[in-house]
Amino acid sequence: MLQTAFNGLVTGIIVTLPALAITLLFGVLKFPNFAVGSMMTLAAYMVFALNVQLGVPLAVSTAIVAVAFGGLLIGVDYLTFRPLRERGSITLMVASLGLGFILENIARLAYGNTARSFAIELARPFRFFDIRMNREQMITIVVSTLAMLAMYVLLTRMPIGRAMRAVADNPALALVRGIESPRVIRWTWFIAGILLAVGGVLIGMDRALEPPMGSNYLITVFAAAILGGLGSPLGAFVGALIIGIISELATFVIPPNYRIGIPLCVIAMILIFRPQGLFGQPYIRK
Amino acid sequence: MISFLILMSTVVCFSAILALALNFQWGLGGMVNFGLTGLYALGAYSCALLMLKGGANTFFATVGAMAIVAVACGVVALITLRVAEEDYFAIVTLGVGEMLRLVALNEDWLTKGALGLTGVPRPFGDVIAPNYYQYFQFGLAFVLLLSTVWFLNVIARSPFGRIVRAVREDDVVAATLGKHVLWARVRIFAIGGAFIGLAGALHAFYYQYIDPTQFSNIVIAYAFMAVIAGGRGAHAGVIFGAAAVMVLLEGSRFIKDLIPILDSDQLAAIRIIMVGVGLILLLIFRPQGFMREYRLKSES
Repeated sequence: MLQTAFNGLVTGIIVTLPALAITLLFGVLKFPNFAVGSMMTLAAYMVFALNVQLGVPLAVSTAIVAVAFGGLLIGVDYLTFRPLRERGSITLMVASLGLGFILENIARLAYGNTARSFAIELARPFRFFDIRMNREQMITIVVSTLAMLAMYVLLTRMPIGRAMRAVADNPALALVRGIESPRVIRWTWFIAGILLAVGGVLIGMDRALEPPMGSNYLITVFAAAILGGLGSPLGAFVGALIIGIISELATFVIPPNYRIGIPLCVIAMILIFRPQGLFGQPYIRK
Repeated sequence: MISFLILMSTVVCFSAILALALNFQWGLGGMVNFGLTGLYALGAYSCALLMLKGGANTFFATVGAMAIVAVACGVVALITLRVAEEDYFAIVTLGVGEMLRLVALNEDWLTKGALGLTGVPRPFGDVIAPNYYQYFQFGLAFVLLLSTVWFLNVIARSPFGRIVRAVREDDVVAATLGKHVLWARVRIFAIGGAFIGLAGALHAFYYQYIDPTQFSNIVIAYAFMAVIAGGRGAHAGVIFGAAAVMVLLEGSRFIKDLIPILDSDQLAAIRIIMVGVGLILLLIFRPQGFMREYRLKSES
């Protein structure tokens, strides 16, 4: 029981990074991006190429890819979403769906459907009291915590982070105050790219690398972000932990194949009972 | 060659029905459906199982499949009870679609899992000589396609059709004018769902064998591409869009002859990449599609 709850906590921690990326992207761009799953897949395969095929250590290759991927996403945004910026969220969602298909299948084209894994040597699990913790889980916890702290500093202490929050909160007011939204959007993609690349590597370490690895997490990530209130960074963090623990504990009751059903039910319940999520502001239209 | 063309036209017919269903939900009603693949699979499996396990004949199996998918869609639409934003609804439909695909893959006692269901009976399969069956099948699919277009046209031009478009354009205004928006949404999604079920049933009849791999992302990518190419809301346009996309997809089989080193997985990947690129290019450069919606100026 305790072990399962701990595993759930780690699953939740894995989800925090992509959930934060989704919530930042939603806050600034105002549409849910369905391509984030495939973005994680592609980034993980890029790390795989450096790590396994060129023999660069995993940490170094993750760092290189994370920065490169941030830049790549700025380019992708420039080509796909920028021309559609004024078109309403349905068009943008459909475009992101198409982008997701493209990115996932680039990975499939290059590496096929076989599952692969990073070059990390096996290690014995640690034991804390009654809880078993393997090395991948420890790396996940450390990396995610550091990333979260960095994000906290960025969003609260740094000018670009405050600008991002201002645009998310009220784009018109931000514009009036002289915040350039194209610049904020570029930064948001860059940061989301880093978060997604690291998230993709953590997922690849936890499970295996295969083309649908990222999109399999999409519903869970959305559930985490919606539970916390779409657009709220703190909410995404708490939401991810809750979703992780609930869905891992639920495997006592429902077959593990249907684990995705839990986040789905959570989304449905929130939408019916508390649409703004745990930390979101009630949203008034028009 | 004639036989190949006939079979392909049959595929175009039931794919066009699927695209029309999506067009009704999304183009006309403004309710985007990212769970299309799963609901399509639900239609195909319901139809096959009603015959194989339930002993229904082909007609009642088809009607049953339509009813099941319609009810499923109606229940999904209820989620917009409090939150009317398209964003959340899209996420929910995506999740429901994934869930349905998982059920098809994992419930071995019902769907035989990855093995798939074999020996799905066909309408009048034992009456018509096998040599002529493909012609009959094409005729049947074509008649059903025409009926679908006719029915959806009638709805689009009825008072209910005006409510549907009003809800799409601005649900607050529609509600202010005393229209029951939630109920309208449930009906839009359920009617679209019935035709997704019909397309699924025809899929089961055509292949006579269904397994989870048939319901991959290419289905949803294809349907969205057809609707956008045809013009959201324009029925005739969507049929041409469906035919054009299908010809492109089938034509891409010949890439294999040009570049022999590709295996079938890579080929499938290239096709989906093509559809994805086409989708984004169409959205950017020709969002109104190639035909106009009935009695409405293009939006852009």
